[in-house]
Amino acid sequence: MHDKKQSLLLRWAALFLFVQSTILTLSPAVRERTWNVDYRLSHWVGFLAWAVLIIIAHRATVKYLPERDPYLLPAAAMLSGWGMLTIWRLDEAFGIRQTMWLGISIIIFILALSNQQKIITFLRRYKYVLLSSGLLITALTLIFGTNPLGIGPRLWLGCCGIYFQPSEPLKLLLVIYLSAYLADRINIHLSSLPLLIPTLVVTGLALLLLLVQRDLGTASIFICIFTIAIFLYTGKRRVLLIAALFLSTALVIGYFSIDIINIRVEGWLDPWADPSGKSYQIVQSLLAVANGGIIGRGIGIGSPLLVPVAISDFIFAAIAEETGLVGTIGLLALIWLILSRGLIASLRAADAFRRYLAAGIVTYLGIQSLLIIGGNLRLFPLTGVTLPFVSYGGSSLLTSFIALFLLLTISNVEDEEPAPLQNPKPYTLLAGMLALGLVAIALTSAWWAIVRAPDMLNRTDNPRRSIADRYVPRGKLLDRNNQPINVTEGESGTYERVYLYPDLASITGYTQPVYGQAGLEATLDDYLRGLQGNPSSLIWWDHLLYGTPPPGLDVRLSLSLTLQSKADQLLGGHAGAIILMNAETGEILTMASHPTYDPNKLSEEGEALAQNTSAPLVNRATQGLYPIGTAMQPLIQAKFGQAKPTDAELKAYYQKLGLFQAPVLNMPVAFDIGTDSTQNLKVSPLQMSLAAALLSHDGIVPAPRIATAVNTPEQGWVVLPAEKMPVEVIQAEAANEAALSFIAKGKSYWNHVGQASADDKIFTWLLAGTLPDWKGAPLVLVVTLEENNIFLANYIGDTIFDAALNQ
Amino acid sequence: MSGAIILALRLILAVALYGFLGWALLVLWRDIRRQGISLANRRVPSINLTVRHGRGSPIVKNFSQPEITLGRDPGSDIPLIDDTVSTRHAQLTYHHNQWWLEDLSSTNGTTLNQTAVTMPTVLTAGDEIQCGDTRLIVNLSTNTLVSPTQKLEKKR
Repeated sequence: MHDKKQSLLLRWAALFLFVQSTILTLSPAVRERTWNVDYRLSHWVGFLAWAVLIIIAHRATVKYLPERDPYLLPAAAMLSGWGMLTIWRLDEAFGIRQTMWLGISIIIFILALSNQQKIITFLRRYKYVLLSSGLLITALTLIFGTNPLGIGPRLWLGCCGIYFQPSEPLKLLLVIYLSAYLADRINIHLSSLPLLIPTLVVTGLALLLLLVQRDLGTASIFICIFTIAIFLYTGKRRVLLIAALFLSTALVIGYFSIDIINIRVEGWLDPWADPSGKSYQIVQSLLAVANGGIIGRGIGIGSPLLVPVAISDFIFAAIAEETGLVGTIGLLALIWLILSRGLIASLRAADAFRRYLAAGIVTYLGIQSLLIIGGNLRLFPLTGVTLPFVSYGGSSLLTSFIALFLLLTISNVEDEEPAPLQNPKPYTLLAGMLALGLVAIALTSAWWAIVRAPDMLNRTDNPRRSIADRYVPRGKLLDRNNQPINVTEGESGTYERVYLYPDLASITGYTQPVYGQAGLEATLDDYLRGLQGNPSSLIWWDHLLYGTPPPGLDVRLSLSLTLQSKADQLLGGHAGAIILMNAETGEILTMASHPTYDPNKLSEEGEALAQNTSAPLVNRATQGLYPIGTAMQPLIQAKFGQAKPTDAELKAYYQKLGLFQAPVLNMPVAFDIGTDSTQNLKVSPLQMSLAAALLSHDGIVPAPRIATAVNTPEQGWVVLPAEKMPVEVIQAEAANEAALSFIAKGKSYWNHVGQASADDKIFTWLLAGTLPDWKGAPLVLVVTLEENNIFLANYIGDTIFDAALNQ
Repeated sequence: MSGAIILALRLILAVALYGFLGWALLVLWRDIRRQGISLANRRVPSINLTVRHGRGSPIVKNFSQPEITLGRDPGSDIPLIDDTVSTRHAQLTYHHNQWWLEDLSSTNGTTLNQTAVTMPTVLTAGDEIQCGDTRLIVNLSTNTLVSPTQKLEKKR
């Protein structure tokens, strides 16, 4: 009966891992959305090795342990196979190693099975020898210790590429020692304290060693194992209380005195304070869990490699990202199956030693799983321990399988009467605590994967957005005649943004994995990324299938590249800005800001650009603020004629012209926040051009527009309307009259040059616009130069205006 | 297309994971049910006790429950009207396929075949139990040694 149950469960496990391997094989096709890819095949070696090893292990348990618990081996086989395939998915080199370690673990497991009775007696008899040699070997790491990764605590002993972490089996040795010691004294009802002194000394020694090594995760597990063992022996709840107090005191002391604890605790309390430094790991882990959502991104389709040490400490985050909440709850249920069956084996055990041993192993497996998964989910401070059976690591896997062997042996009782139990409460309480811990972890997973997921995934430090950009084409930015400005080139997997008209960089901006996004690339991101304008069913479906947004949509701008190139040529090396606007519709035909930069070279020059004192990254046309000086003269004349306005009147007028507020335009804009007087007011060229537009269009200030239409899959080009209504500020007659009084000599338009100074620097303004009787689209032009150069301002104005009018 | 195929596989993966867990739960539930049924089916072999108080005439009592208490307490299975017997004097229990006699810390003690009972002791046919002035002769039915559960298991 037992054999049949076990083999059926193992078949389910094999099916699970087979499907997982198949998905991993096909996953590149989904990532790149084509069948013409290199399929992943190497992990099948791991799957086949797992299948063979588990069949052998199954036969061995059938032979040596006829009455064993039939759930333990399948659950452990499932967890170890799942972990191994996850490691293959993350890193093939480590996948091979993990497969080898699985082989070694199962061979030792089988060898132990064939000598089970001898081993149990041996363990009980030589408890002190075992524990002290364990401590001795751990102490050796103080002298010969290394770290396979080259950095971090040196907890491994190693040679020739094989590393072993003695603190892993040390946990098991402590469990064995405590069980044997307490079982020998089960019937002595002395006052408990003197009885416990030897165990206190031994555990204290082990703790000291681990503290010197800075292996704090293992140290806290030691304290937990010791506490639970004493609790099971005495049945007194105050033991738990004392241990909880001790642990929290140690945490507080460690917080103030030990660096690594300080970092871990701060990363736990407030990970958002330093997401790229101290709490980088935890934030990345939470992002992975959030990206997994409910059903996960699919094996091989997420980006779990973004989480540091995903193969060992953060393997739970990797599993959560690719199998989602569905997978993590299943994983927790598997852990619960092992823990609960282990506790039942403990209660059914034939003698006190076996009972304590089984309960101790359950404690060790349970506490370690809770600590590391809770650490991954920010439920507890992070401790660098492994997830038993799942994480990468030979010592961890081997120890897990020895623990499994002991549990299976203890569960193998033939209708014997269990040893008497005086007080069942500690066992019920232990089971309750472990179950509660797992439930808390499941709820925390759900919190990050469902409730917080949208916020988390929109964080700018979520690298998955820029990874998606490599696989999904981003929409183009086009000029008003559908000439491309910024486009995406390459193939799925290597898509890259190319900027065909680099001089527009400070206006259209960039999108780049390291430096993020700027300009229109940032403000129009939702369209360009396909998250807006696409039907929501398509967005949902693409997220479900590929974990990415659908292909991006093209956006048409109001800019005219012919006029734009003229403006950029004219401005050349001079610092300043040019705006040419349709005075009626507010469409911006030209927007130049110099000095500018080449966004194609951003990855090499980004750092230097940010430091550059001439601020090439700033869009001077919308974000540069300049003193007004005499530039406003035509506008003042239009409102007040030759009369000199009072300060209050002027202020009210400026208010109406929008000089005290930010223009509404979907790109970064600035306005003078610092002042509310008319004297020192600074305005941006955009604000100035909007105000000046009233002279060319009947006293009305238009609403500015730059993104005019988006190409949606369902309705074709859809107009993006202005986000504000035009405002009539003065009477049309007054505006027309003022425009006519500023007619340029021999030209068919008005213009005005003004100058202003601030901080010992002189600025030159040029305002120009079409006349009231102009039959075409009314235009307004603003040129701002960061130098005293009336000649250049006039020259730029005349050339652009002539070009625009004769177009 | 590839996405849809993989989505189907992802669903199968979830089915396999929960198939494993569901199957494990189902088997566990069946275990519990079988255990319950087998316990319910387990019949205690009947036991005949010949009770004789002092020199009075013997009364034969037949029991088929797994626990029989003796004592002055009228609620006992074998109420004894005897001042030398404690309120809850001794009990007979059936487990591990045997009848066991246990003294419940009575004042005057219990003897089995003239030996004092200090720990639970197995009864065999013809045993003589003495509580105070009361004597009981044990008479077991013949199929005592084979319990129904064992029979069931052999059939399987």
